[in-house]
Amino acid sequence: MVVGVGEVAIGGQRKETDGPTEAGPKEAAGPARPAGPFTRRGLLRALVAPAFALAVTPLVVASRSTHTTAGGDGQGAGAFDETYRGRRIRGVPVAGTRTAGGEQWRVTVDGRPLHLMRRADGTWLSVVDHYGSHATPLEAARAAVDALGPGEQLRRQPLAHGRHHHTGGGEHGVHA
Amino acid sequence: MAYTRKNVSALTASERRRFVNALLEIKRRGEYDEFVRLHIEYYTADGEQGLRAAHMTPSFLPWHRYFLLELERALRRVDDSVTVPYWDWTRDRSATSLPWTDDLLGGNGRPSDQQVMTGPFAYAGGRWTVREGVTDRPFLTRDLGRARAPIDLPTRSDLDGALSDGVYDVAPWDSTVSRGFRNKLEGWGAGRGSASWRLHNRVHRWVGGAMLGGASVNDPAFWLHHAFVDLQWTRWQQLHPGARYLPEQPPAPGDPQWGRVIARHQTMPPWDVTPASLEDVSGIYRYV
Repeated sequence: MVVGVGEVAIGGQRKETDGPTEAGPKEAAGPARPAGPFTRRGLLRALVAPAFALAVTPLVVASRSTHTTAGGDGQGAGAFDETYRGRRIRGVPVAGTRTAGGEQWRVTVDGRPLHLMRRADGTWLSVVDHYGSHATPLEAARAAVDALGPGEQLRRQPLAHGRHHHTGGGEHGVHA
Repeated sequence: MAYTRKNVSALTASERRRFVNALLEIKRRGEYDEFVRLHIEYYTADGEQGLRAAHMTPSFLPWHRYFLLELERALRRVDDSVTVPYWDWTRDRSATSLPWTDDLLGGNGRPSDQQVMTGPFAYAGGRWTVREGVTDRPFLTRDLGRARAPIDLPTRSDLDGALSDGVYDVAPWDSTVSRGFRNKLEGWGAGRGSASWRLHNRVHRWVGGAMLGGASVNDPAFWLHHAFVDLQWTRWQQLHPGARYLPEQPPAPGDPQWGRVIARHQTMPPWDVTPASLEDVSGIYRYV
């Protein structure tokens, strides 16, 4: 178990990345793809791109730990901003309809977006850890920090999870 | 003529080399990263809206079965002698055993940054740059055994617990069900922490690094792990003759799971294949 909540930072304790970062063009890789099952996705990617341009807006807040408990300030219950193991983690609930309970979060680690998803039992998992979940977005964010190596930063652009939100019941075909 | 998938411990030196070389070649061609992206794109959690094809869902097993078949086809276009080996993590249980050898997947990540430094997928070799990763790191990462808070791989007994459940899956067909072979094998347990990480999920965590995140396919260990998971489906069928994939019929309109899971005769995106069509793959491959 991780012990302790990270120290509260008064004035940035954030570490700078110390390693090689950009490996090259993120989307470039692609020599010609074989025709077949993958081809539809290129189109889909183009269609959903604008939605992902709605990237995480950097929040300008003081560098100290704040955990709001009420929604009166417009940030919603449970918004957090703290330094955990030298990483600045921030999260606010945002309006959204993607999750079953209607609750979505915008979370960042050192200013980079951390994509969270919700499980049916109400727990949360992050893009860094897809194979376990946590009671709150804050716990999921801390667990993501635990899994990151020293100086390792999330991508600037979030990975495209769950792009295939088929909401209709019968749009995938039935083969008798 | 069906081909065979072997235990990784049974591969000859030549078979190991050809498997690794085929992976490196499809990586070079850009095909490999397509698999990484596909897996990311189809990860929809069960607390989110939309169809779940790949995880927290009955089609976890057939979706990954077809995903492996697609990878295997890509490898066999390079070298038709290659098939995907499986890693029996109930037997090969240490960070230095197979498949973590220099002629296969390479070893653990180094302590400072989890970077894999040995074997064909080490970044310095120049043939395995991570482009579709969760983080900014261009190298493959691993944390075998989870150094900071060690855990063990699942045991044979853990696996038998899942295999003994004669029902494939039960409503509501998600990560919360406590009955059914599928979720027991996928490994979404109740509770918190180590006790809740089971079987398939626990192995992802034991490998750590890239394997823990959304871009887990970046580690070729993904395929060896999932071949073993796939083998369990076949074993389960042998243990429970006549038991089939469920649900047989889609949930009714009005059911919260309507439109969110794939019934036995519905197709699994992004492909045009049904779970039913993948229940018997003995004409394509068999495990030895």
